Amino acid sequence: MTRPTTRRTLLAGAVAAAASPFAARAQGGPDLKGTTVVFASWGGAYQDAEKVSYCEPFEKATGAKVVQDGPMNPAKFRAMIASGTPDWDVADVTGGFLEVGIKDGLFEKIDPKLVTTSRIDPRFVSEYGVGCIVWSSNLGFSTTAFPNGEPKVWADLFDLKKFPGKRTLQDAPTASLEVALLADGVAPDKLYPLDVDRAFKKLDIVKEHTVFWSTNSQSQQLFVDREVTAGVILNGRVYDAAQKGAKISLSWEQNIQQVDYLVVPRGSRNRDAAMRLIDTMTLADNRAKLANLIAYSPTNPEAFKAIDPKLESWLCTTPANIKRGLVLDQAYWRDNLARLTERWTAWKLA
Amino acid sequence: MRAIDRRTWLLLPAGLLLTVAFLGPVGWLLMRAFTFPQPGFENFELLWQRPVYLRVMGNTLLISAIVTPIVLLLGFPVAHMMAHGSARLRRWLVFLVLVPFWTSLLVRSFATAILLQRHGVINSFLVGFGFVDEPLPLLYNLTGLLAGCVQVLLPFVIFPLYSAMARIDPALMNAAATLGAPPLRAFVRVYLPLTLPGLMTGATLVFISTLGYYIIPALLGGARQQMVAQLIQDQIATFGNWGVAGALSLVLLLATGGLLALLQLTVGLKEIAR
Repeated sequence: MTRPTTRRTLLAGAVAAAASPFAARAQGGPDLKGTTVVFASWGGAYQDAEKVSYCEPFEKATGAKVVQDGPMNPAKFRAMIASGTPDWDVADVTGGFLEVGIKDGLFEKIDPKLVTTSRIDPRFVSEYGVGCIVWSSNLGFSTTAFPNGEPKVWADLFDLKKFPGKRTLQDAPTASLEVALLADGVAPDKLYPLDVDRAFKKLDIVKEHTVFWSTNSQSQQLFVDREVTAGVILNGRVYDAAQKGAKISLSWEQNIQQVDYLVVPRGSRNRDAAMRLIDTMTLADNRAKLANLIAYSPTNPEAFKAIDPKLESWLCTTPANIKRGLVLDQAYWRDNLARLTERWTAWKLA
Repeated sequence: MRAIDRRTWLLLPAGLLLTVAFLGPVGWLLMRAFTFPQPGFENFELLWQRPVYLRVMGNTLLISAIVTPIVLLLGFPVAHMMAHGSARLRRWLVFLVLVPFWTSLLVRSFATAILLQRHGVINSFLVGFGFVDEPLPLLYNLTGLLAGCVQVLLPFVIFPLYSAMARIDPALMNAAATLGAPPLRAFVRVYLPLTLPGLMTGATLVFISTLGYYIIPALLGGARQQMVAQLIQDQIATFGNWGVAGALSLVLLLATGGLLALLQLTVGLKEIAR
């Protein structure tokens, strides 16, 4: 699944990028005056951080105006494409939607003349989208529940004797089935296609002890309220809860990574300006700024030079943490999500 | 030709809004059950072939059927006090019943969770005073879901009941007593039938509202309390599958309509409208 990338090749790529013709153009002054680019994302603190870290530098460099819109919504996105004239020029979408959208022809191809994709870790670049942030499903646990040693790997989540207490899982098959298979001893590079029967059999062990979360704030709250002692939770949520004083920590072993991508909706009226906004978004400095604001992991390895070292232990794309993880296969999930969601629901009800 | 009562025009704005913002989109969604991805009945065949859909549908109806009598039983005495208590008491009760309306559903669900959780208010009390040894499982199961639904839906029963009870002439109960009916008999034979319109309105509102619940089962229910609105949302937002979503909605609509028709036959919608 994961293509091996050494830090050195990435650095080489970044150096080459710096020497690319774009560098000259970026200094070419505000040539997009009068252009308006509409950027759609997920709202809240995240989009605020994107505005400051990506959009404002872009406005300054090009003279264009960026209008914030959202929240991103797959159904709305499709409806816009169907109408022929999308309102959005750049959208921040999940990796899952990227694959679905590629199949259904919802995006413009990323233009290599306008976007220097070599700044980004190649694992997180697609022909139709550029990875902007990475997040991971981690083994989160209460720091007070296990005085005789903390859980470390997914197998520990299923060991109710050694690690007693309630569990939490996301109420979705995505990542949950991977967790079960990794816990059952499947090697990361042999995960796909998933052995679904084996995964559900493993999940049976904890089913009766599990509270299923459907919103991220809920996953956090379950630990804060001491409702569960261990479970699957996103790295950013453990960070947030820990910042607020919750007794929670996480393991980076076998973390399962997912990527959000920047895409240009097909038929965008400002395609070139949209591509250039995405290019600004790939710059290491801008990535670092975003990470410092909201602790989301960058896809540009160079960004770590300017990221607060205190944050590094919470980010999944640091050299140490990225090695321990694997990237969720979104193409697999695109083709199997409907079927497996049905099976997931049936499994829960059984 | 007889002139139309000019006041009829006053219905126009609401009628237009209803058509444009409600009937249109809903009709469109239901149509899609037969037209998406291609014309035919494949979406319904799918619902029939995969037991999980019918199971969730049955689950939803069952949960609504449990919630409704609980809300009625809890709301009835409150409405009674509101209708027949002092004006001061009535003002307080109206205020207390309305307060939840000013609070978001999400906040109220989280508040319910705080009460019911393992280390929550109720369990701390029960364990602290030695009533139970272990915290009771009150949350992330049917109990939690019912608690959440009931607290949200109480006003929908209290107000229709109140308006029915306020219209009951108190002299009727005295008359029944004078004629020799003991209190319980007077209540069952005289008072209760007169509250029936309010009772039926309340029950209908609660039952139908519960069918569509989406946030509460997700936040307070457990694995087995999956309800159909969650499935419909998944089909639209995650899969873009308007066909299955439409088919699920149509089946839900028909089931609801069927139950209302049954109610009509047994109690009479005329009672509700009166």
